[in-house]
Amino acid sequence: MSSQDHHEESFISKYIFSQDHKWIGIQYGITSLVFLLFGFTLMMVMRWQLAYPDTVIPFVGWMFEDGMLSPDMYNSFGAMHGTIMIFLGVVPMVVGAFGNYLVPLQIGAPDMAFPKLNMASYWTYLAGGVIMVYSFFVPGGAANSGWTSYPPLADIATTGQTIWLFGMVFLITSSLLGSMNIIVTIVQLRAEGLTWGRLPFFVWAQFVTSFLLVLAFPPLEAAGVLQLMDRLAGTSFFLPSGLVVGGEILNVSGGGSPLLWQHLFWFLAHPEVYVLILPAMGVVAEIIANNTRKPLWGYKSIVFASVWLGFMSFIVWAHHMFITGMGQGMSLFFQTTTMIISIPSVIILSALFITLWGGKIRFNTPMLFALAFLPMFGIGGLTGLPLGLAPTDIHLHDTYYVIGHFHYVVAPGTIFAIFAGIYFWFPKITGKKLNEGLGKIHFFFSLIFINGVFMPMFIQGLAGVSRRLADGGVSYAHAAGVLEWNEFMSMSAWLLGVAQIPFIINFFMTIFKKVDGVADPNPWQSTTIEWTDTTSPPLGHGNFEIAPVVHRGPYEYSVEGASEDFIPQTKK
Amino acid sequence: MSHDDIQHHVKTYIKVFIALMFLTLLTVGASYIDFDISPQFRSGAIFVGLAIASFKGYMVASEFMHLNNEKKMIYWVLGLTVFFFIFCLSIPVLWEANLMGDTNFEQSPPKIEGGHH
Amino acid sequence: MQIPYNEELRPDTGLYNAKLGIWIFLASEIMLFGGLFSAYIMLRVGAPVWPPLGTAQLNIPMATFNTVVLITSSVTMVMAWASLKMNNFGKFKMYMGLTLLFSAMFLVVKYFEYSAKLSHGFTPAHDTFLAIYYTMTGLHVIHIIAGMIVNGYLWMPGSKMWKSNPERFTNRIEVAGLYWHFVDLVWIFLFPSLYLL
Repeated sequence: MSSQDHHEESFISKYIFSQDHKWIGIQYGITSLVFLLFGFTLMMVMRWQLAYPDTVIPFVGWMFEDGMLSPDMYNSFGAMHGTIMIFLGVVPMVVGAFGNYLVPLQIGAPDMAFPKLNMASYWTYLAGGVIMVYSFFVPGGAANSGWTSYPPLADIATTGQTIWLFGMVFLITSSLLGSMNIIVTIVQLRAEGLTWGRLPFFVWAQFVTSFLLVLAFPPLEAAGVLQLMDRLAGTSFFLPSGLVVGGEILNVSGGGSPLLWQHLFWFLAHPEVYVLILPAMGVVAEIIANNTRKPLWGYKSIVFASVWLGFMSFIVWAHHMFITGMGQGMSLFFQTTTMIISIPSVIILSALFITLWGGKIRFNTPMLFALAFLPMFGIGGLTGLPLGLAPTDIHLHDTYYVIGHFHYVVAPGTIFAIFAGIYFWFPKITGKKLNEGLGKIHFFFSLIFINGVFMPMFIQGLAGVSRRLADGGVSYAHAAGVLEWNEFMSMSAWLLGVAQIPFIINFFMTIFKKVDGVADPNPWQSTTIEWTDTTSPPLGHGNFEIAPVVHRGPYEYSVEGASEDFIPQTKK
Repeated sequence: MSHDDIQHHVKTYIKVFIALMFLTLLTVGASYIDFDISPQFRSGAIFVGLAIASFKGYMVASEFMHLNNEKKMIYWVLGLTVFFFIFCLSIPVLWEANLMGDTNFEQSPPKIEGGHH
Repeated sequence: MQIPYNEELRPDTGLYNAKLGIWIFLASEIMLFGGLFSAYIMLRVGAPVWPPLGTAQLNIPMATFNTVVLITSSVTMVMAWASLKMNNFGKFKMYMGLTLLFSAMFLVVKYFEYSAKLSHGFTPAHDTFLAIYYTMTGLHVIHIIAGMIVNGYLWMPGSKMWKSNPERFTNRIEVAGLYWHFVDLVWIFLFPSLYLL
């Protein structure tokens, strides 16, 4: 055990202020799962209001005045659902948990390049999360100007918005620390022989994602500082002259521009979408290659496509702003770049589909989630095209169609990839596979109900129902013909919640299950280093007993003439 | 890096220091000179001020931060950053240019041609 | 457990970990100030007159003095690193001390500048020019303070590492120096943008 620590670590330094990337990854994973559940719960409460407006909410109604959500409260829940799901749930999950746990293992490194920064990154994230949750308890409730926090509304909103901004500063700092660490780790700590062309696609995806975080987050941080100044120091960065609020001219100097916020916000938030999806694609690619027992089709093209995707994601942001009155030149430019960026996504998706062709597919739970990711992300991507073109976007903007599109990318897209990853790498962490039967129940019901939630949103959106109505459209003449879908979607959402119970049972049941003997270090017969060169879990701090040396590419499955149907990367 | 190399570096640092001091005074002095056609349109002064600042920045980056002799990886990172930095800065420029484009559009609406393919 | 390439250079990249790390950090800093400069330009081109009528006249002599102070601190910082490279720990202590002294001087001047403006009612809320002035210089001051904390640590308690691991300590000074020069660089652009043009 040459490379592992021999001295006993105290409980606190091992489990709380740990500097081991694996434990930090687990901390990230558990925390973000809790936040995902919390964000989902907010939505399940909101869906009651949408399905049965003006009736008392069951179970949690006692928390609210009159047992119902006030419209302000509804806005709070909506804004916080978005914020929590994206910044506290999915990003920490795909980058913090998966990136932290797997990147050093997949590149044969003993740890992250900066273990102390890694620890700081987790604790900053947790602080940001606590601040966000705390904001529910301040007067006026949590931030209620949407997760995008558009001024002038956000500038004059209640205290919750200030807390939201402080929370965001923490979350941005955490992301910056984490992604810096991932980039340096990938560049500097790759095992001997692990050239750029031999990196598993998951590592490439993390690499591109980290660059997006490093370069796109700071402009939002700048915008956050400006909005804080507006709210606390009385400046007018985002307030135009002569703004009238409640019938009176606002007593500020004016001269600012609300569009400035939108530019800086979307300069982050569009790359952010790819932060959400790229690591998910990485997870899915690993699982598909492993379970089709075939090399990933077109490895080089999907690597280039992911780099291209990352690059292009910085120059499409204004397609979120078509209805702000931008002129033709600018809208033409951003429509063009938006159409171009769909090409690399299609390349990646097609390559993954082609990988399936002729494979001996093993339909285990992680593979099922990974397979479902493909069409679900496909629907999300294709429904995005009308939103990327100004003439159709003007009709669809701010309707449920946008919600449907975005959620198809992130919910049955990224969240399914997260589940696939959890089922796939669970034996790496604990040495035990999750129960297949419960896993399949979890998968099939999730797949059915998640479509029940989001598919009708396209129908409502095409009919023109706005996404921001606290009563789900009862008071809105446009919505009359499509109103009956509300109950259906709400039922699906709650059943989707119920469908997660097998997963939770499975999760704890497997952790506490007693297994005799030593666990199989490579239960999926995989080629990549994290499975082939480590001992049985749990791994010690330092990961590898002998530093691995890599001799081949990441996906040598079913090679002709080989004795087994996979050749580990480290085999000569 | 040998001892002599460092001695050589130190000499450069002193030279750069003197140049930076001189340029600081120059840029302050230049700000009192009227380069502009009109007080509303100050592009001359802005150009001179930013040109001097860029040159100072270039000297700090290349000598103090040793960017004149750095590894390829660093250049890659910075090249990428500069590209997106320029894009971020061009937000207002795009905005303005776009409004000008619109004025032209209002003056001459495009001809609508009949559908023949 | 030892992380590789903490002090020695990785052969294929020619870098040690912290060097790449600080440059990526500076890349994100470039984007942070990029966002603010973008806001500055947008406010400026959107304003009918710039600076807005009735705004404060910033104190150019004070800012010129501060520019000189900050550039000098940058030179002493790089000299501190060069002294370590020449194995002269005593000179390092002196130059690093000077760097801290100049940074403190910058803050003192800035304090007088701010208080003079604020006492005449020129708060950030007065107009957009003062708003962006306070925000950008304020953020810059926060960077100065952060740099002083790091430099102060490396000057006093952190310098013990020179005895145990001189190579790594020299690297730390180089990395701290890169950050410090960046802070100087930002000021070089802030000075003409806010005071002169």
